[in-house]
Amino acid sequence: MGKINGQGVYAGVDIGSLTTKSVIMDTGRVIGSSILLTGVHPEKSGTDAIRKALDSIDRDQTDLRYTLATGYGRISAGYADDTATEITCHAKGVHYLTPSARTIIDIGGQDCKVIRLDESGNVTDFIMNDKCAAGTGRFLEVIASVFKVGLDDLGPMAMGGKESVPISSTCTVFAESEVISLLARGEKPENILRGIHNAISNRVAGMAIRVGVEKDIFFSGGVAKNAGMKAALEDAFHEPVVIPAFDPQLVGALGAAVLAGNLGSEA
Amino acid sequence: MVLKILQKIRESVERRPREIDVAKKDGQKVLGWIGYTIPEEIIHALGIIPVRLGRGGDDRLVEIGSRYISTQNCVFVRASAGLLAENKDPYVQKSDAVAFDTTCMQVYRLGEITKYYFKKKTFFLGIPRNFQTPHAREYFTKEVEGFTRRLEEFSGETISSDALAASIGLYNNIREAIRTLYAHAAHDSLPVITWREVYEVVHAGYHLDRQEYLTFLQDLVREVRETHGSAVDEKPPKDVRILLSGSVIAPGDTKLIEIITRLKGNIVADDLWSGLDPYLQGEVREPTLKGIADAYMDRVLPPAIPCLDQSTDTRLDNLKRGINESSADGVIYHSLRYCDSVTFKGLEIKEFLRHEKIPLLEIHTEYAQSDVEAIRTRSEAFIEMVKFRKQTGGRI
Repeated sequence: MGKINGQGVYAGVDIGSLTTKSVIMDTGRVIGSSILLTGVHPEKSGTDAIRKALDSIDRDQTDLRYTLATGYGRISAGYADDTATEITCHAKGVHYLTPSARTIIDIGGQDCKVIRLDESGNVTDFIMNDKCAAGTGRFLEVIASVFKVGLDDLGPMAMGGKESVPISSTCTVFAESEVISLLARGEKPENILRGIHNAISNRVAGMAIRVGVEKDIFFSGGVAKNAGMKAALEDAFHEPVVIPAFDPQLVGALGAAVLAGNLGSEA
Repeated sequence: MVLKILQKIRESVERRPREIDVAKKDGQKVLGWIGYTIPEEIIHALGIIPVRLGRGGDDRLVEIGSRYISTQNCVFVRASAGLLAENKDPYVQKSDAVAFDTTCMQVYRLGEITKYYFKKKTFFLGIPRNFQTPHAREYFTKEVEGFTRRLEEFSGETISSDALAASIGLYNNIREAIRTLYAHAAHDSLPVITWREVYEVVHAGYHLDRQEYLTFLQDLVREVRETHGSAVDEKPPKDVRILLSGSVIAPGDTKLIEIITRLKGNIVADDLWSGLDPYLQGEVREPTLKGIADAYMDRVLPPAIPCLDQSTDTRLDNLKRGINESSADGVIYHSLRYCDSVTFKGLEIKEFLRHEKIPLLEIHTEYAQSDVEAIRTRSEAFIEMVKFRKQTGGRI
């Protein structure tokens, strides 16, 4: 694991479009965390996530030395000492977990990004998907609803597919109707889902061309919990993809806490 | 503190539609134009008032324009179609005819739409695809001569050598003054005039009387030079210095500029066809139509021109020169939706700059406001990345 400067208790909070995550660190070690659904008030979601993470370790707000917010809700985080983009925070979080990582694939609720980082965990380049939800967590939610299965079932089902049915679009709306047509045609659900995962991974690989790919490749974000997506990415990149034991959905919040530690120690 | 001359320019821009009304009552004609390579020297020498048309940033106009062309056409062209269709813009209303050139084929098609649907009198100027060959120059000289003949018929005047020489002198001076203002915005550690103010001044020149405009520019250069001495004691900014490149950023299109400015990014230069590029070269050395044609062929190629002889393509060198002269830390490459020529060039430019160790951020956008947050996140991350690199050892 990478080192951080911070002495004391620091909080990172990542207010994403679907979920809000918080990580609490004490002297460079993770001591608490939380994940909750983002509500209509991002500011409240951020403070709730921090409180929940602190409650899990019997601490309270007065213990916090420095708080840093990231994610789309960071602009409403008046309670934080500082803010940083999720791109910077993911790089810091990944570097803390896997210092050898040079490429990050992050697939979250409504965006997808490829980040390049150097040996110090600093961002050297990045690319984010266009503004639509193609190939993101939201896309997979819609697909899960078509198959009437839970989000957690998608990956194992896809890995059970013996063939990959080509999916021509990762547009959420078009893919939904395409999947319905394929089911009506009698294609096996597992094969369709394998095709869906391949379509997303090929799209990510296409994005990655613009920033270049270097080993080690790290996969973060909520979608990294999907083993089928990991396998599809490894096929598309022809390289192993690292997912740490640490919850990949918390990587942005972890990076925010790492940054909070560094900035808090300077403050 | 707003520069006094800048304030005067703003007031003059406010007055300009009324001035044109008076001139029209006195018999002067107005020629609106959209494109990149229309030689205003000729329009001005014939006593016609030139006005450069086109607005950006208004999704309502895009919607109107989309009734006449595909929703998969360039968003600026659609907005311009909307502007012409709506016919509420004072300069569109006052234009007795509109000229288009074929630098960008989507703009040329807009000319066809303008003629067919909006019943405006139109003029077209053909542009070769391979600027540096003798055949191309010969072709363009003939195009310029033909364009001049058609404008002579339109105005009822014959162009005189003296009027042409005077007009060429005027425009050469305008180009020189604009280059000087850009240099101040880019070079000064604490500029008296910012890039954004210079960009505003460039756009004011689309409409103002060109002789008055030159006087303003020269007065502004003088004021900037005189004011500069009182400002040098303050600490120079440590902001990230950015050069803007890519698609046209037309008057009214402030989305990206405001996002970057609010994030404390310091835009110091551009290589946009709506910015510095038309003024960089193009010094007319011979006071003839051939002299004008040659000078326009020597200008920096816009992205829309497919330079068939790649050994003569100076665009990347021009970008590199702009970066070096402005000490830019990074480039934000702005591509408007369906501005295909700019979109196609994105990766090539990124790779070129990677070798030069200059970071580039691609921003693909349109005039709707739905992507403001996404652009803000990308721009902020880019500024964070460049700022950190700057603090820890200079350029990436």
